[in-house]
Amino acid sequence: MQYNVIVIGSGPGGYVAAIRCAQLGFKTAIIEKYDTLGGTCLNVGCIPSKALLDSSEHFNNASLHFKEHGIDITAPKVNLKQMIKRKSEVVKSNVDGIAYLMKKNKIDVVTGVGSFVDKNTVKVTPSDGKETTLTAEKIIIATGSKPTPLPFAPFDKKRIISSTECLELKEVPRHLMVIGGGVIGMELGSVYSRLGSKVTVVEFLDSLIPTMDGTMGKELLKVMKKSGMEFYLGHKVTSVESKGKEVTVKAESKDGKTVELKGDYCLVSIGRRPYTDGLALEKIGIETAKGQIPVDENLKTNVDNIFAIGDVVRGAMLAHKAEEEGVFVAERLSGQKPHVNYLLIPGVVYTWPEVASVGYTEEQLKESGRAYKSGSFPYKALGRARASMDTDGLVKILADKQTDEILGVHIIGARAADMIAAGVTAMEFRASAEDVARMSHAHPTYMEAVKEACLAATANRPLHM
Amino acid sequence: MAIQINVPTVGESITEVTIASWLKKDGEVVVLDEVIAELESDKATFELTASAAGILKIKTPEGSTVPIGELLCEIEPSDSAAGKSDGNLKASPPDTPAETAKPTGGVKEMKVPAVGESITEVTISTWSKKDGDLVQLDEIIAEVESDKATFELPAEATGILRIVAGEGETLPIGGLICKIEIMSGGAPSSTLSSSTATIAAPSASGDGSYAAGHPSPAAAKILDEKGIATNQVKGTGVGGRITKEDAQKAQPSAPAKPAQKSAAAPVAPPGERNIRNEKMTSLRRTIAKRLVAVKNETAMLTTFNEVDMKPIMDMRSKYKEQFKEKYGVGLGFMSFFTKAVCAALQEFPAVNASVNGDEIIYHDYCDVSIAVSTPRGLVVPVIRNAESLTFDQIEAEVVRLATRGREGKLSIEEMTGGTFSITNGGVFGSMLSTPILNPPQSAILGMHNIVERPIARKGEVLVRPIMYLALSYDHRIVDGRESVSFLVRVKEMLEDPGRLILGI
Repeated sequence: MQYNVIVIGSGPGGYVAAIRCAQLGFKTAIIEKYDTLGGTCLNVGCIPSKALLDSSEHFNNASLHFKEHGIDITAPKVNLKQMIKRKSEVVKSNVDGIAYLMKKNKIDVVTGVGSFVDKNTVKVTPSDGKETTLTAEKIIIATGSKPTPLPFAPFDKKRIISSTECLELKEVPRHLMVIGGGVIGMELGSVYSRLGSKVTVVEFLDSLIPTMDGTMGKELLKVMKKSGMEFYLGHKVTSVESKGKEVTVKAESKDGKTVELKGDYCLVSIGRRPYTDGLALEKIGIETAKGQIPVDENLKTNVDNIFAIGDVVRGAMLAHKAEEEGVFVAERLSGQKPHVNYLLIPGVVYTWPEVASVGYTEEQLKESGRAYKSGSFPYKALGRARASMDTDGLVKILADKQTDEILGVHIIGARAADMIAAGVTAMEFRASAEDVARMSHAHPTYMEAVKEACLAATANRPLHM
Repeated sequence: MAIQINVPTVGESITEVTIASWLKKDGEVVVLDEVIAELESDKATFELTASAAGILKIKTPEGSTVPIGELLCEIEPSDSAAGKSDGNLKASPPDTPAETAKPTGGVKEMKVPAVGESITEVTISTWSKKDGDLVQLDEIIAEVESDKATFELPAEATGILRIVAGEGETLPIGGLICKIEIMSGGAPSSTLSSSTATIAAPSASGDGSYAAGHPSPAAAKILDEKGIATNQVKGTGVGGRITKEDAQKAQPSAPAKPAQKSAAAPVAPPGERNIRNEKMTSLRRTIAKRLVAVKNETAMLTTFNEVDMKPIMDMRSKYKEQFKEKYGVGLGFMSFFTKAVCAALQEFPAVNASVNGDEIIYHDYCDVSIAVSTPRGLVVPVIRNAESLTFDQIEAEVVRLATRGREGKLSIEEMTGGTFSITNGGVFGSMLSTPILNPPQSAILGMHNIVERPIARKGEVLVRPIMYLALSYDHRIVDGRESVSFLVRVKEMLEDPGRLILGI
């Protein structure tokens, strides 16, 4: 079958690219190796983890806060089976939604492993073996990524698990050891911590969520410690051994002190690596570099008609980054000239309190030598936060010292993930801190913390602090 | 400090001029580049324009004869006056001209001025306004080319433009280019207000901030697609940011900019040798280069023929309803011309070829470039594989490309790679012209207006709707026999559309 565009992979990058291509009039096919569409994000990533985070958050509130709210109930119990079932239903409805979108946009969905025959031909091999061949003028590779294992302790998917298995556990762990204090480790760690597991996090670097602004990592550590999680920062894991129902993790600090942890589950969340297995890239002369497919600024590979987007290429491994790139490539193929501003793609951690940021971190500004000023406002001074008892966290605004232009917005606290959109909008229009401070922010809302932090940044004159 | 305006040098042998008339009164506010007087030498009459905005102080009265260099008048720059009046022009909402403009009954005939001693004729390159458009005094309405240089033609009055000479037409000095039915008053067109806005805007929008010139995400995309650099666009957003609307309105060759840069550069006062001293925009340079290159690097000639359009017109009136009903697109002339052209191109491959150094590249497909006039200028999108398209497909494609062209949405890819071009000056009233080749193509067919003409057939005089056809071709690879025969074949197939069906 001949198409204008073939997209390989139906995660957020792939399915969005396919939909945009179809909207622009291209005859499009999308190849997906698994039986359900939506890739990592919908099936074993963003969506299921948010479902469990919400469920565990409710349980947490019911267990710890309802009494204070004046709601008297007997101590709630975790029904993990039901929690996982609900999560699966959420996943299913999203995945079905993507299937509907494919149909609505008349995009042909072909199930099976896609592999290149030549630069215009992809053969698709499904699990039942009946091969099909598709040809297209342009091809977009969106095959995503998979969890990176520890070289000395591969996933056994039973006790030494990745995020995928962590979303399908049959029991609440007694002691969940999390290796890697990044976004995924923190999110899944906090799910089970709320459900009653003892959670210990071992992280190689000296701070949590190290790619984000340092203040965020520090605050998150404070809050997570308060909730009962234990941390070994600056520790390198030297061995992970699973025997029967027990896993032993040994780690070493920089000054040689060793620590030995024993638990029933070990989540390895040290990162993700691009996935290109089965693509037969060698057939078309594409060589990966560190597993990634190299692309130019137009996301074009070294083969003229082949593009790659999302986790499989350089850049933050975020669903919305993949989506932006999907739209970018589709529009460029049709002759339009969109742009992706990578600096203004927000990063989010869905713990509670949430963490969200956009723009430069304070560390980046210091290193670049750019003169900046900063202002912050704590949630505990915020009326709305006191009303809901979500007083952990703060908003930090970084602005140019001279022009007051907002250079970075960093939020840890309730609703940060939604609030950051205002930061992205302001920065896309190069607003100054004073500009935002002079905009009306509804009262009482969490967004007022942003307004106050901007007042603090622009002229050190917050009103409510 | 008053700015003095002296009698400019207008020709080698001219030593004095007479002030034929002052068009503005002493004490009146004048704007930059406004025509303020008419001067007469014994070679020609030309206009004096204000080299600054401000209050006019006439020093030499009408009727006086003054030597070159003598003081004619002074302009007292009055920033607040200029700013205010410009500001007012800018602030007034763009009323439809019909509301405030009134016809005065006068008609200004614009003739080709003398542009240099050795130049005897010029060609109208492009009309940037359409017949019937409201044009403002000094607004650039066309581009005119001599074989020395290309220059822009500003309107000599405010009013309704009536085009006489179409694109591609060559006129002698003194020839009638167009007429302007003069209107008094009238709200400024958006082009004019944007040009005054360019001057006055800094005060209106406050000091440009650090974000001046920063395009919003949509604006950045639109400007990139139009090939306009963001620093060429004045942002009207907060602090000088470029809004989506700014980007949508932005034009590649900004007529407003020359007005700002050149002090007093009236277009071609007769007798002067130099047309312009102002720097061309890079788009203008590219266009100029290409046009001159085509004339220099090709052996361009034009052969003519005429077509009796009655058979096609009859077919159209007979079938156009059904056609529209079945295909949802009107049956125009382009499908007939395109089909005839493609059939003839198959028989005369040299006409469909291009020169590349020492090689001739022959194409076995016909990608037909069609010249589309848009408010922004001429664009030439390509109908790919026109030889395999049906009539309805061609008409649909023409509509699609023309719409995209007028919306400024055509991509570079859509405008390159044609193998043959068709241009239609007839829509502007052109009777006959010598179209210029569209490099690297080796031929272009010019369609013209259809005029009922008396012709002789079999000893009898008949009146038929006749269109003159012009085929400009590159004689390096198309010889006379081929070009003439090609055009004859096209004529035959147009006069007898049955030939298209039978392939004869």
